[in-house]
Amino acid sequence: MKFNIKVIVNIVGILLIINGILMLTCLPFSFYNNESSWFEISLSSVINLIVGCILYVFTRTKTTTNLKKRDGYLIVTSSWFFLSLFGMLPYILSNQIPDFTNAFFESVSGYTTTGATILDDIDGTLDHGLMYWRSLTQYMGGMGIIVLAVAILPFLGIGGMQLFVAEAPGISPDKLRPRIKETAKRLWLIYLSFTIILFFILYGEGMTFFDAVNHSMTTMATGGFSTKNESIGYFDSPVIQYTIAFFMALSATNFTLIYFGLKFEFRKILQNEEFKFYLLFIIILTSIVFFTLYNIDNNNIEKTFRTALFNVVAILTTTGYASADYTSWSTFMTVLFFLLMFFGATAGSTSGGVKLIRHMILLKNSFVELKKQLHPSAIIPVRINNTVVTRDVILNIQAFIILYIFLFSIGTVLLSLTGVDFITAVGASGSAIGNVGPGIGDVGPSETYSSIPTTGKYILCVLMFLGRLELFTVLLILTPFFWRDH
Amino acid sequence: MRIIIAGCGEMGFHLSKLLAKEEHDIVIIDKDSDILSQTEILDVISIVGSATSYKVLEQANIKSSDLLIAVTESEETNMICCTIGKHLGVKKTIARISNSDFIHRKDAFDLSSVGIDEVIFPEALAAKEIRKLLKESAAITTFSFEGGVLEFIGIPIGKDSVLNGKSLKETNYLNPDQNFTPVAILRDEEDVVKNKTIIPRADDIFEASDHAYFVAQKDGGVDRVLALSGKKQHQIKDLMIYGGGPMAFVTAKHLSKKYKIKLIEEDRKRAEEIAAAIPNIMVLNGSGTDLEFLMKENLEYMDAFLSLTGETEKNILAALAAKETGIKKVIALVGNMEYIPLSQNMGVDTLINKKLIAADFISKHIKKGELEDLHSIYGLDADVIELNVNEKSKICNNTIKDVDFPKSAVIGGVIRNNRGVTVRGDFVFENNDKVVVMCLQDSRKSVQTLFK
Repeated sequence: MKFNIKVIVNIVGILLIINGILMLTCLPFSFYNNESSWFEISLSSVINLIVGCILYVFTRTKTTTNLKKRDGYLIVTSSWFFLSLFGMLPYILSNQIPDFTNAFFESVSGYTTTGATILDDIDGTLDHGLMYWRSLTQYMGGMGIIVLAVAILPFLGIGGMQLFVAEAPGISPDKLRPRIKETAKRLWLIYLSFTIILFFILYGEGMTFFDAVNHSMTTMATGGFSTKNESIGYFDSPVIQYTIAFFMALSATNFTLIYFGLKFEFRKILQNEEFKFYLLFIIILTSIVFFTLYNIDNNNIEKTFRTALFNVVAILTTTGYASADYTSWSTFMTVLFFLLMFFGATAGSTSGGVKLIRHMILLKNSFVELKKQLHPSAIIPVRINNTVVTRDVILNIQAFIILYIFLFSIGTVLLSLTGVDFITAVGASGSAIGNVGPGIGDVGPSETYSSIPTTGKYILCVLMFLGRLELFTVLLILTPFFWRDH
Repeated sequence: MRIIIAGCGEMGFHLSKLLAKEEHDIVIIDKDSDILSQTEILDVISIVGSATSYKVLEQANIKSSDLLIAVTESEETNMICCTIGKHLGVKKTIARISNSDFIHRKDAFDLSSVGIDEVIFPEALAAKEIRKLLKESAAITTFSFEGGVLEFIGIPIGKDSVLNGKSLKETNYLNPDQNFTPVAILRDEEDVVKNKTIIPRADDIFEASDHAYFVAQKDGGVDRVLALSGKKQHQIKDLMIYGGGPMAFVTAKHLSKKYKIKLIEEDRKRAEEIAAAIPNIMVLNGSGTDLEFLMKENLEYMDAFLSLTGETEKNILAALAAKETGIKKVIALVGNMEYIPLSQNMGVDTLINKKLIAADFISKHIKKGELEDLHSIYGLDADVIELNVNEKSKICNNTIKDVDFPKSAVIGGVIRNNRGVTVRGDFVFENNDKVVVMCLQDSRKSVQTLFK
């Protein structure tokens, strides 16, 4: 099989250059706080830029080549891998996370917006520059750095759709505009604007400038990295917690719908079944958690409600912030939050996981199958948003969910082989593939991933990549026919 | 009137036959000379060529024609034909369409701006009629005058009917409020192909298996007529529709909100298309003549069975089979009009014919502003005509007894000031009355002269 090796290397080069340039935005924070790590950050940036330039310059072609589907998958997967690899340089060079495995894990967890950390003491380990870099990796991964490249680089226009499809979460990316470049631009514009708005709100509500910057980025990316060990629990302010909960929910909403909302086409939003189900789901889960919690400790009603809402939204949207430790409440709550990791929010958002629409379609299809037992020759289509879901899509989703469960199981088994206990293995595996962050057991909201053995961390890295790129993109590359067939 | 008909399909042929009979000058256009050759038996001009060709239309003398009716199979051809025709100078155009958007979304696109004055959507017209028949399930035919102030209803006379074996005179007591009038009886004679149409007089006797036709007032009259048939009016909820063609599709869509529908289509791909297009109905992939399959799908619990495939024979057979299982209301789409009396005698009493419905619609438009509206009823040899009384009419300010009203015609009712009334011999007609008359074809001329 012939690949467009030149183009592939070329694009990876460009992405490294972008990575290097963005890395430089850490420097103001380093200088402002008088941190010595500015040198290592600059060095990392220069390495990124040099490697990127070399790859770019030596593969530059005058003729524009069309990207094939295959090339798209290979570009996306290899880009994410190399970005994570080069993105960990600041951690290692500055000696703040000296261990290669830990640095790579933190980097992958960042780009994939998982938000799982190996840092037991965030404040004490990282300085401001690096903490900012850690949040920035999540911000890039949230909307997708390739979507960004498609948006800003002129020559990616034609092959852009292949890359976009391979990276964007959801069943099929809705094009907002006829041109993919314009769609990508609008997505990033919405993303960026909401981040700025969130920053000002958080800053106004009393967060420090630095915390507001970091949290606005990791909230919009539904990433979940915090600058504090206690995560959002540190900010014991109702308004801040409500604000973040709202923006987490918003970022986990289909960006196409947000786009329609901004254009005042509210009918399209109200007609969207997934969105309605998403809201209903949040309400129901929050009520369940609220009443269970209230039964347990009979605390202040507002605080109980806030805790319930915040943690439900944080896990459902796969952000992974925590304002309390849900594993400490009751076994039922632990089970509930564990299962939540397998839902995810809406397609076309920055959230991870399976996504509600897949569950809805499969559930509807199951009802159809039940009905068919009574009427064997009936033809009953599965509808979503008043349009019929084709057989192909249903089969694709079925394959997705089967693979998802399969990979989750393999991950659990392999983790248990490395020596972690059962609960932890299950929690870490589910959390990693869903890009959530906290799990249950030893990786619960008040714990970190530092206790996971080295091999286990690499297993989780693979699961995070698989989850962020929605299984197929990565899995395809591991299949023999991807390389053999024509 | 000079009328050009584009397309010599089922509908075009029927229209040209009907309109030629009514002494209009007809030019019929079709691409296929073989198909066109069947018009040789009619008194019309036929032109072989495309309906959208300027040359052909000019050859048909479009400039001095009054009406262009485009009824080819293709909606696009019909619309373009009308647009061109209008530009070439025809006074009025009617296009057959197959997409309800043109009717429902008039705000989005005004068809008259492209030269299409009127559209005809036969499937939708037929679906509307089916809906009415289901609402008044004991009736076999029904249509309304002037938005429903008077109704025309046909009912089958069953063995248990109070009318069975009684003469019209004897049954007078059943009509205490005088809010309906019997206007025709259709009787099964020895001649199987043709039934006899009787305009009932006082001594005529109703027989079992007759079909009796009435004109009734909206309030009270309709219910009373339906009660006469001896069949119980039952609420219809569950429907089975056989067929997935345009007729079945439009009907299912039209009725899907009100009834629980099972639609049976043989072709799997088409069945999937229908299932995708119409929510709230159950589409089954199978044959409507496979009784075992139908029974598995609870045919016997259905309140009505609609047989609407494109094939008349299949429809009649399926309808008969459904009738056998005891379904009370069975409606069949019949394309071939020779079959109408035949199938009526076999027990499928409610028939739908797209051609007749469409022709009825078109002839209404031809007659608009003129003397009368005309309706033809399936199987009946008589027509229902709506006539306007004016100051010069012989009948104005007179009763029926005063004028020489033909024996083979009967006055069904009068619409005065938007209220429908049924009338007796002493009723005095006034200016601006609209009179509904049922008459055999031989007396139509003499009835018409009374209103001139």
